Amino acid sequence: MGGSSAAHPKCSTDEGSTAINSSLMIGIFMLIKSSCAAVRWRRHGGPAWISRGLVVACVIVLGGLTPGCADRREEYPSRPVILICPWTAGGGTDRVARQLAVGLEGELGVPVNVVNATGAAGVTGHTRGALARPDGYTITLMTVELSMLHWRGLTPISYADYRPAALMNRDPAALFVRKDAPWQTLKELNAHVRAHPRQLRASGTAMGGIWHVALAGWLTEIGARSDAVRWISMEGASPSLQELMAGGLDIVSCSLPEARSLLDAGEIRALGVMADERLAEFPNIPTLKEQGVELVLEGWRGIGMPAETPDEVSRVLAAALERVVKGDEFRRFMARAGFNWAFEGPAEFSRSLARMDRSFGTLLTGDAFKNMGEGTIGPMVFPAILLGLGFISLVMLVTTGGMSRTESSDSFSWRGAWRVAEVLGGILLYLLVAEALGFLVTGFAIMAFLMWRLGVRWPVALLVSLILVALVYQVFAVYLRVPLPQGIFGW
Amino acid sequence: MEGAFIQAVQQVFFSPYVWFVVIAAAIYGVFMGAVPGLTATMAVALLIPVVYFMDPVPALAALVTLTACAIFAGDIPNALLRIPGTPASAAYTEDAYRLTLLGKGDRVLAVCLISSVAGGLFGAVILILFAPSLAQLAARTFSVAEYFWLYLLGLSCAVIVSRGSMLRGLFALIIGLLLSLVGLSAVHAEARLTLGRPELYQGINFIPAMIGLFGVSEILRNMFAPRLGEQTADASELREPAERRRWFARPTDLLGISAMREASASLWTRKLHALRSSTIGAVIGMLPGAGADIGSWVSVAASKRFSSKPNEYGRGSMEGVSDGAAAKNAALAGAWVPALVFAIPGDSVTAIVIGVLLMKDVTPGPDIFTAQADIVYSIYLLFILANLVLIVAGTAAIRAGGLIRRTPKRVLLPIILLFCITGAYAINGSYFDVLVMGIMGFVGFLLDRRDISAGPVVLGIILGSPLEERFIQALTAADGSFLAFFSRPVAALLGVTALVLWLTPAIAWAMKRTRSGQEDRSLTS
Repeated sequence: MGGSSAAHPKCSTDEGSTAINSSLMIGIFMLIKSSCAAVRWRRHGGPAWISRGLVVACVIVLGGLTPGCADRREEYPSRPVILICPWTAGGGTDRVARQLAVGLEGELGVPVNVVNATGAAGVTGHTRGALARPDGYTITLMTVELSMLHWRGLTPISYADYRPAALMNRDPAALFVRKDAPWQTLKELNAHVRAHPRQLRASGTAMGGIWHVALAGWLTEIGARSDAVRWISMEGASPSLQELMAGGLDIVSCSLPEARSLLDAGEIRALGVMADERLAEFPNIPTLKEQGVELVLEGWRGIGMPAETPDEVSRVLAAALERVVKGDEFRRFMARAGFNWAFEGPAEFSRSLARMDRSFGTLLTGDAFKNMGEGTIGPMVFPAILLGLGFISLVMLVTTGGMSRTESSDSFSWRGAWRVAEVLGGILLYLLVAEALGFLVTGFAIMAFLMWRLGVRWPVALLVSLILVALVYQVFAVYLRVPLPQGIFGW
Repeated sequence: MEGAFIQAVQQVFFSPYVWFVVIAAAIYGVFMGAVPGLTATMAVALLIPVVYFMDPVPALAALVTLTACAIFAGDIPNALLRIPGTPASAAYTEDAYRLTLLGKGDRVLAVCLISSVAGGLFGAVILILFAPSLAQLAARTFSVAEYFWLYLLGLSCAVIVSRGSMLRGLFALIIGLLLSLVGLSAVHAEARLTLGRPELYQGINFIPAMIGLFGVSEILRNMFAPRLGEQTADASELREPAERRRWFARPTDLLGISAMREASASLWTRKLHALRSSTIGAVIGMLPGAGADIGSWVSVAASKRFSSKPNEYGRGSMEGVSDGAAAKNAALAGAWVPALVFAIPGDSVTAIVIGVLLMKDVTPGPDIFTAQADIVYSIYLLFILANLVLIVAGTAAIRAGGLIRRTPKRVLLPIILLFCITGAYAINGSYFDVLVMGIMGFVGFLLDRRDISAGPVVLGIILGSPLEERFIQALTAADGSFLAFFSRPVAALLGVTALVLWLTPAIAWAMKRTRSGQEDRSLTS
């Protein structure tokens, strides 16, 4: 438990939520028991008021739940923190995020939930993290792409939209070839590339990704054109390494830890690493500098929050992060997972963010990189093929009578259409008001309304909706910590 | 060697803690798999903080059991509600659901369970016997060109198994592929079809789309029927009378033993088919980036080709359900092979598993079979244990699922809608995903009214971007030459298979057309 958060007099979330949870569970249990009993009784000729009585009981139980933590301007942190990971579950960044979340939970004393906001080469997650409410409850695991995306014009978001909290990793790029490749040293590869431009194929990530920039930087440094090696856009290091082994690629550019298993197995060789000096974990792999190529290129990972986050929140978080990142457990994890551990506090991190942004800017906007983006196949080739096929199949369907109505679809009723509209309206209602009213209220309203419209007696409709919505909320949001809309009441 | 094996047996079977973990993980896995929107990947990711504090063997036990149970449990909402719990189940959604509507719900689920267990066990055996050599083979033969053909074959299979004419299946597939184009293209990092909306940059997530296309569209279909109440009465007549009178089934058959026995017997009579399905599943599962979904589609398509009743497929074929279920569970074990041998994940679950292994000081790589043999044997044994526990957990889950069928439709439909919305939102905590689910629900409803099945749409959304990526990668690597797709032996083999698959019906259709054209002309002249 973090000393700082526990010391302040505040509405303790732990106690508050436990009280709510246990009373909710007891309430639901009692409701289920009593409704079963009531249904039995009613069947055997019990009085008609019984179901109405149950509804009253529900309302009382629910009413008892509402006051939990009345004062909502508490000391930070008092409710679960969301840690946005811009990359998919299972990747290297995700692994770091989950490890950090375990540590931060211990330090902050509140749950820290990892949300994978993936897609669009990191744009999605970084955008969502920067535009989140600046209250310290949404923090982001920023990656090197933040220094690059805005230079490529993919998003206006840059490091300036973030308030940096801590950096925990720097991974230099390295160049790999297959074990049976003819080049024993980087010098031989340099000579081959200069002599045979556009013969070799390389990958490691998508076009314009960090390892692509590394390769282009290397080519420029050795005096070759930056497209002297053809870049095949692939979605990450592991598919690229797999492709290298299958013979589809000649060079892979990625970080050393990503290739560790294959390296240890002797399937591939590393010709050089783009760091200032050799890494302690890989003492046999020479740097590019040693081999006469002046290039240092590193990926990094760090935690940031929206730029307008207040100082007091940022201080608490940065202190907690420093303890986690400098802790033995985290360092051991990083070493085991093969990440290169590093630490920078807010001030230092924000200086190096500015510096890295400038250097990536020079690389990405320079002439060297411009002619690299041109692929053989344009982005609209595949869509055009698909549209053509789609048009042909549609025409064939229409001419062969495939689009005519089938027997099963002959019935049409306005009542049915109206009910369809009601369901879609329910979904729309959720989209419009769930953020404001929260999951419980919105879900309950939609369920109860639909059941009532479908002819369920209203006491039953209310009861079933209430029990189910509460149960779903309890299981999803409390036990599984899956995100659900929180709303003004906090549930 | 033997010492390590004995050690593994002790670690797995003689530890009460491992048994406890396995049982808890089974319950958790069944729940996560059965709720649409909660995926096996998410289940594993949520478990990481718990697993972190465990020893390697219990940690692996939790993950193996969890995935085996979750991937089976996807069949439960698949058969009962027409919502595939996992994309792998989508290959036989129509079959399973229609069989349930015909009152064979118990049998379908029993068949799913027994086939899943058989497939899972077979996959484990393959893992035990061939893991290292197969991984080497797969890694050296599968380049982007082979993957391109594999994905195309997977998509073709979706067209083949869908109900109705192939033309309708193709149309559905192209809708799915076009939807997959939305967003920032992975190869060019260029925004396409985004209408300038930033939410669309990340593309259309297939899980909300799948929930919409199957789940919401089924709700809408029910709602659209002119007399909802009377339809419920029809459905209730399909139930056995004894079941209608009692809230719970007869005590003698409380566990559905007779259905299980029947399912096992019918699996035994089709044992060669089951073997074929499991092999397809295990081999495709072993290829990184393919996995259980493609495995089950290909398996169902192969099953249809060799079946004596191909017309049943897509309209309620028990054989299709059985073969698909076996393939998807066999694929699970397959996916561990490249993960263990090269630390290259076979699917999203094993990607997380590699992380857990590293956390536990277990380094994947060819050495793992000698250096940490006891861990490898433990994994094998855990796969067997997990599938045995699945029989019990699955039976219990099927019984619990029986409650769904006894609930009247007018209560059930709103509940399903709640789960659809919750599941779609839970994936990324995004309202946009809920919107996608709603729109896809309406699209699915419209397609359904034209007798076009939603399966190919889902697979199109899943495989669209990888297909395009492989297409462009192979062409770029060969400097724009189309020979890239046939220059390697395995690629050529797969390519010819795919072309034959597509050209046969096209030529047959064209010949029929010209023949009937000639007849027309001879009639008029």
